[in-house]
Amino acid sequence: MSAGERLRVVGQSVPRIDALEKVTGRARYVTDLELPGMLYAALLRSPWAHARIVRIDAAAARALPGVRAVVTGADLTWCDPYFGPAFRDRPILAIDVVRYEGEPVAAVVAEDAEVAARALALVEVEYEEQPAVTTLEEALAPGAPLVHTSEPPAGHFADLSSLRPVPGTNICHQFHFERGRGHAAFAEADLTLEDAYSFPRVQHYSLEPHAALAAWDDQGGLTVWASTQNPYSVRVELSKMFREPLSRVRIVVPFLGGGFGGKTYAKLEPIVGALARITDRPVRLALSAEEAFRTVRRCDARVRVRLGLRADGLLLAAECHADFDLGAYADIGPRIIQKGTYTATGPYRVPHVVLHSNAVYTNTTPGGAFRGFGVPQLAWAFESLLDEAAARLGRDPVDVRRQNLLAHGEEYVPGDTPIDGKFEESLNRAAAAIGWTQAARPGRGRGIAMMMKASIGPTVSEAIVRLHADGSVTVLASTVEMGQGARTVMAQIAAEVLAVPVARVTVATPDTAITPYDQTTSSSRSTTMMGRAVYEAAEDVRGQLLRVAAALLKTPAHHLRVEDGAVVGRRARVPYPALLQERFGMGGGELIGRGIVAPGRSAAPLGGSTPFWEMAVGAAEIQLDEETGAITVEDYVSVADVGRCINPLQCEGQDEGAVMQGLGHTLFEEMLYERGQLLNANLVDYRVPRAEDLPARLRCEFVENGDGCGPFGAKGAGEGSLVPVSPAVGNALARLAGVRLRDLPLTPERVWRALRARAAGQSQGA
Amino acid sequence: MPDTRTPSSFSITLSVNGRAVALDVPAHALLLDVLRDRLGLKGAKRSCDVQVCGACTVLVAGAPVSACTYLAVEADGLDVLTVEGLGSGERLDPLQEAFIEHGAVQCGFCTSGMLVAAKALLAEEPAPAPERVVHHLRGNLCRCTGYRKVVEAVVACGRASGERP
Amino acid sequence: MLPPFALYRPSSLAEVADLLAAHRRDAALYAGGTELLLLLKEGLLRVQCLVDVKRVPGLAEIAAEGEVLRIGATARHRTVERSALVRARCPLVADVARHVANVRVRNVGTVGGNLAFADPHSDLATLYLTLDGMVRLWSRAGERDVALEEFLRGPYETAREEDEVLTAVRVRPWPAGTAGVYLKFGLYERPTLGVALAVSVDARGRVAAARLAVGCVGPRPRRFPAVEAEARGQTLGELAADAERLARAAAEGVDTTSDTHGSADYKRDMTRVFVRRALRIVAARAGGQEPHARYPHTIVV
Repeated sequence: MSAGERLRVVGQSVPRIDALEKVTGRARYVTDLELPGMLYAALLRSPWAHARIVRIDAAAARALPGVRAVVTGADLTWCDPYFGPAFRDRPILAIDVVRYEGEPVAAVVAEDAEVAARALALVEVEYEEQPAVTTLEEALAPGAPLVHTSEPPAGHFADLSSLRPVPGTNICHQFHFERGRGHAAFAEADLTLEDAYSFPRVQHYSLEPHAALAAWDDQGGLTVWASTQNPYSVRVELSKMFREPLSRVRIVVPFLGGGFGGKTYAKLEPIVGALARITDRPVRLALSAEEAFRTVRRCDARVRVRLGLRADGLLLAAECHADFDLGAYADIGPRIIQKGTYTATGPYRVPHVVLHSNAVYTNTTPGGAFRGFGVPQLAWAFESLLDEAAARLGRDPVDVRRQNLLAHGEEYVPGDTPIDGKFEESLNRAAAAIGWTQAARPGRGRGIAMMMKASIGPTVSEAIVRLHADGSVTVLASTVEMGQGARTVMAQIAAEVLAVPVARVTVATPDTAITPYDQTTSSSRSTTMMGRAVYEAAEDVRGQLLRVAAALLKTPAHHLRVEDGAVVGRRARVPYPALLQERFGMGGGELIGRGIVAPGRSAAPLGGSTPFWEMAVGAAEIQLDEETGAITVEDYVSVADVGRCINPLQCEGQDEGAVMQGLGHTLFEEMLYERGQLLNANLVDYRVPRAEDLPARLRCEFVENGDGCGPFGAKGAGEGSLVPVSPAVGNALARLAGVRLRDLPLTPERVWRALRARAAGQSQGA
Repeated sequence: MPDTRTPSSFSITLSVNGRAVALDVPAHALLLDVLRDRLGLKGAKRSCDVQVCGACTVLVAGAPVSACTYLAVEADGLDVLTVEGLGSGERLDPLQEAFIEHGAVQCGFCTSGMLVAAKALLAEEPAPAPERVVHHLRGNLCRCTGYRKVVEAVVACGRASGERP
Repeated sequence: MLPPFALYRPSSLAEVADLLAAHRRDAALYAGGTELLLLLKEGLLRVQCLVDVKRVPGLAEIAAEGEVLRIGATARHRTVERSALVRARCPLVADVARHVANVRVRNVGTVGGNLAFADPHSDLATLYLTLDGMVRLWSRAGERDVALEEFLRGPYETAREEDEVLTAVRVRPWPAGTAGVYLKFGLYERPTLGVALAVSVDARGRVAAARLAVGCVGPRPRRFPAVEAEARGQTLGELAADAERLARAAAEGVDTTSDTHGSADYKRDMTRVFVRRALRIVAARAGGQEPHARYPHTIVV
């Protein structure tokens, strides 16, 4: 399609194609699914952060009527019980040792959920408590007890084939990156400053906790209906664990009630697969919200940043050291530390950098992917210190940022994609929207922050588009619908290319038996990568339509175009059904188009070039109740460079949600542990944002310069807007009240304590 | 009516979305499970399970309750409204239409509860101001939308109903 | 999900007593269940049966008994919120009822259940202390009234004996010429701090009586007789000016506990802040003004 053509449905806020199902309660999630003969599973979890399993006595549980099986780690010798994308370090059920409070130790399968719950209480486990490390400090101390005493085999990702654990420590991976003269360059700086920050343990709290339903069929194949963001990754895991060929492992994904990264990579699927095999019946496991807190979380981090600047504000050198707490099992942690650290210095040109991060095990809930994927942790630190630097130089923080921005088209790192957007445009828009150059009202302060993030590469996305005899279309794509509106976007793309109404396009449920390979629904990649695959597949069909029409009309194909469900020439109009009739000589048949997007590896440091750079700016205006320390965000502006909004209303909804989720870890959210015990694994004691936390004014805006590699110039979106929230608010607080907080969340009590310390310091200094 | 020999089991009759339903339920059965598993009404969801998130909201005698923490026997003789009872036949409830129009739906897991809660609000306050909507929806959590479009949809629906004859 | 239990629905207090005597620790009294059912789900409580008191006549009633207002144990928060009688006699009680938890809990939860559960983070207990709340406990042996301050012994602990039923709470509405306020502050589902304050002004414009209660910050809500005494005799202007000093005195005397809702020292200082704010609001209200008092994470009733 040429750039000049007017778009019909792309760029329109068409109602999402799953809206009707969702507002009528008809949308089906895993826990809504039932199979005949289905059994219910429940998991017994460790009360200890670190303990040796001495003995498990399941006799009484097994004897309870209605119980079909009680399974422990010792019963899993018939399969490979370990899984994990980076390290295969996580057992389906604890084997000999438990490594975090809440780790599954035994599984009960029963005819109904009540019997399963009762049977759980009858399983007796004897533990021998072991010393646990539950903070980064404890885990990194010399001679610290080890969470894992042997090195597990590497998982299935090529970019992590160079996993670098440090033997004898709890460090399971390290990432190191240098540019320029590294440390030596600091000698040239007129201003050097350094500080340390921390990012808390937070939980995704998807409204739908994890769930999976597994059934083996008569041919020995396994089907799992899973609340997962990457069915193909789960498939590969299960194939290895159960020693079945990929062609016999089928993952089906209905709607997800939220994901945010917490449902990437295998979580429940291995255990339900195993239980279904053992009982020879379908088995469903649905976690409670409390259990979700003991399944995955964001990796907390301590980040030290050192900046060296010239007197005129130019950034010369940066050093970042980040320790990420991966919890008891690595999950995708090693990639998180890489991704977060890779763009530690944000969207700025810094000639000399030394970046280093450690992935550290602790005896706590395993960490995993969560919107932002390591970048929020680094950006919180870097953007805070950058503001400090601006203050020390007596410079406006927007000016200092503007001065140092990477330019459109500039190389970031040799081998990786050049910068594909105009940072300055986003920055200027955000600053203007918040009224940066006008004085804030009394008692209000403003802060700004920026971010940049690489998406995942290399990846593969494949799609099929089928044009049916009546001119309607089916799109086969394994992109998972978790609320972000991906199904609607794919429908819009296909509808645009094939010139049919969106209502005539059906997007199939992701099903590895039917919808072809997609790496993952994460990393803000689906609109670009799967979007391109769908685009190509639709183009393939369009090409076939034009060729059939050309032969029929005896007109060159390039004189024809598609319009309104027909191929149109200067004097003829042939609807698609007629063309298929012509092609197949009968009223049946369909045209099939294929798209494969696989950019392949590159020389980029993370193994593949990023398909696009996710870019966002956040500007916050806050008010502070100095007596209680409570921060109110009165006005928040997010500007995200998304290339092109395929569906503007959906983009806006995603970014509003991202900003509010960012407010969560900025102001409220924190998983509280005491000696390895999670104290607040429930929604009474864990505070997520509510409607009343909406800023009085919230604007989510988009830069659409068509700079993306995706269809119609689209880039990815949905993660970027979350990242600047915490540093924007932290910077606003520093500018308003003169206190710099380094630890999130900025709860009223933390702010109160900092204000008192400042007052005490002032009175001492006076 | 309780079976006095076994006060662990009760025969109840309720009206669910306008349809009379007679069931025998154990005393400890939760309304959410009866609706979902016995009556196949899967719209109401179990999420937090501690009455905070509102994903399980249904109306009993017009009042929102947390079905996850409400005994089924308490609904005996009363009207229960779930999301499936909104709208009629082919026609959507104006609230459902407003949610679609304003982009107030993303993953959809909170949506049933939001709609039912909003339905009860509009029955009491036909044209609520945004602050009233926010107060009333304090007990409905959403992790996807950031709430803005949900509040807008309810306010718009309220305003529109005021303009309808 | 809930563990199995039998559900008894007696229609008289005598039947309730029989059931309690028969089942003792294996029985739990049940009204709204908003707290009880959670305990059962979590496995923090194990019982064989629930004794539903909602069918005992009169237990839900809200009635005037001379100057006193009787709120039946099984009255729902929503009923209290909408009761014309409560609104007429003690509007703050109705208004606070509107802010308990969320709308769903208000539709189902009861006043008696709230008080009997004695969650340290309760709104009602703090407010009712300023209304000379008296809890009526009924048993076969007879009835007794217990002052709310004595009834609440500590977190989840009350003076109710195993065989007793909380049938009502009686509150004494403030006299004419009283302005009151209830403030609750906190991020979480349960408030971190609750301050209830009522100031009665005499014909000369001086404080005739002050009633101050602070709750949620410690094991149980308390009154502050010393601070109340200091307030007596002051004009409204003097009271507003003296608010910081009085608030400090309250903060010095308050018993605070560190928990997931805040540290003890923070709660102590918040007591000072919110008692002062309450005093200023009440001084304004007593003077016929409605101050524009909005604070983050604070509900001002």
